Amino acid sequence: MNTAFWYASRATGIVALLLLTAVLVLGILVNRQGRLPGLPRFAVTDLHRNLSLLSVSFIAVHVFTAVLDTYVHIPLVSAVIPFASGYERFWLGLGAVSLDIMLAMIVTSLLRGRLNRVLWRAVHLLAYASWPVAFAHSIGSSKDLQQGWMLAVAVGCAMIVLAAVVWRLADAARQVPRAGRVAAVFAQHTASAARRNRGTVAR
Amino acid sequence: MSTAVNESAPGGAARQAAGLPRLLPAAPEDLHAHLARYGPTPYRGRTNLLIDDIETSGLTGRGGAAFPVYRKLAVVARAGVRQGRKVVVANGAESEPASRKDELLLGLAPNLVLDGLQLAAEAVGATEAHLYLHYAPGPQILRALAERSSRGLDRLAVTITQAPPRFLAGQEAAVVNRLGGGPALPTFQPPRVSERGLGGAPTLVQNVETLAHLALIARYGPRWFRAVGTSDEPGSMLTTIYRPDAKTHVREAAIGTPLEALLGAGADVQAWLVGGYHGTWLPMPEAAGITLDNASLRRFGAAAGAGVLAALPSDRCGLTEAARVTGYLAAESAGQCGPCLNGLPRIAAALAELAGAGHRRRTLADLERWSGLVKGRGACNHPDGTVRFVRSALTVFAPEIKRHARGQCSATDRRPFLPLPDGIPTREEDWT
Repeated sequence: MNTAFWYASRATGIVALLLLTAVLVLGILVNRQGRLPGLPRFAVTDLHRNLSLLSVSFIAVHVFTAVLDTYVHIPLVSAVIPFASGYERFWLGLGAVSLDIMLAMIVTSLLRGRLNRVLWRAVHLLAYASWPVAFAHSIGSSKDLQQGWMLAVAVGCAMIVLAAVVWRLADAARQVPRAGRVAAVFAQHTASAARRNRGTVAR
Repeated sequence: MSTAVNESAPGGAARQAAGLPRLLPAAPEDLHAHLARYGPTPYRGRTNLLIDDIETSGLTGRGGAAFPVYRKLAVVARAGVRQGRKVVVANGAESEPASRKDELLLGLAPNLVLDGLQLAAEAVGATEAHLYLHYAPGPQILRALAERSSRGLDRLAVTITQAPPRFLAGQEAAVVNRLGGGPALPTFQPPRVSERGLGGAPTLVQNVETLAHLALIARYGPRWFRAVGTSDEPGSMLTTIYRPDAKTHVREAAIGTPLEALLGAGADVQAWLVGGYHGTWLPMPEAAGITLDNASLRRFGAAAGAGVLAALPSDRCGLTEAARVTGYLAAESAGQCGPCLNGLPRIAAALAELAGAGHRRRTLADLERWSGLVKGRGACNHPDGTVRFVRSALTVFAPEIKRHARGQCSATDRRPFLPLPDGIPTREEDWT
């Protein structure tokens, strides 16, 4: 029974890392109004939202099984209070930090209709801090991820996130401000329309 | 001020139904003249009391949407005061460039509009009143406000805010955004501004002509109001009329008046435009029997809108006119919703191609397809209104499209007919 908790905690932790990677990439896609092949735009938002709630449930199992497991002693409060665990104080502390940020993001998102948008956005931008901290917690506290094909999975996640962030910044840099957007699109289409006429009107 | 001719004035060019004009005096009326004619503002002394009269009167919004006025009043009256506020706005931002009636009304009878604003505020229990205009307020308005406050006639002080000269600046949500200090941009509704508007407070936005009618109903009652118009669409409305004589006429007409009496239908007219630039082209002489009420106009897919009516002279090219207006409408997209931002410029460019010579064969089919794609997919009705205008132009000017395809045009006069402002917005400040 004891080892079951330990294995469950390790497994759910790794699944949570994969899910959080997907959530971050989808969040970037939502921000840039991008689409997934075959899905309408609102489905990307829904997927982002639902996967984030799913990953939090995996993290809950991850935390509780680690606490219940008697192989090492981890106090429950160390899940939310950073650096409160005697075992792997630093690496588990990082896990608590990233979980706290995620909880703040979820609470502000659930209350989004009642909050001002600037506050919601400020808290949501912390995702870019939360993911690397969670990643460091995974690599640092898990011997599983430090070798073999699991290491390749972890490195793959990091590359995907890095690529998504670079794409996001490049896409934002390309963006025309709202007020100029209409004029830009308009100029492009009127110029091409003028080229298409094959003659002149006789009167 | 306006260069539009007030055709409704006694002795004006038009023959009028009994009792008209109701709104437009022959010359600007100051407070003294206003009080002599109408007496003091007929406050009811309590919220809600006026709303039943407005419901019986059948008054609808004269800003273009023809929404029943009592329903908006009732929603705002029922809503609680939020953050200590409840707001009433007189919307004079006549953002339709062809419409001149609100500006003329405010110049001639500012006190009637301001009476209506105060009465609507009382009826819904408002705590603040605004006047929203697309130009710096003229001397008649400023004088009326000063005279009213020195006489203690206004229960709420009126704040004036200037709108940017954008087509969408008069849209309800855009009005609220501008009054809140932001750009005059429409936003997705619901929540409707009548529930959560300025600063989150319930907000009643009514066109200035609507408020002038409301002020008269408060005085003379719903039966008086219903004495003209049709039984489904009672009352009168201000119209801005463009005829081949190249003058701009503003005329108060009973709803249900034959359009022929307003626009003329002689051989010098090839088509009518009803409802302005979000409106509908009607073929001549097929539509000649139609009347100025939505029940009659609906049969041609048209609506009276804000009362802009134009009779296109036979010597002009309707296709070219339609392309010019569509180009303007595309450039006035707020650029917020993808279908509008990307669709309208394509549609405008395709129409410009048709208005040139020798268009590609697939352009007409593209236009039809794109029109279907943008309809119903904006936060406001800008894409829908634009598509209505374009589709009716394609139908009414179909023979002209064929002519242009062969490199010919039937027009002998190349001067533009419908009025359009210069310049398109490129900076954020253009919207504030």
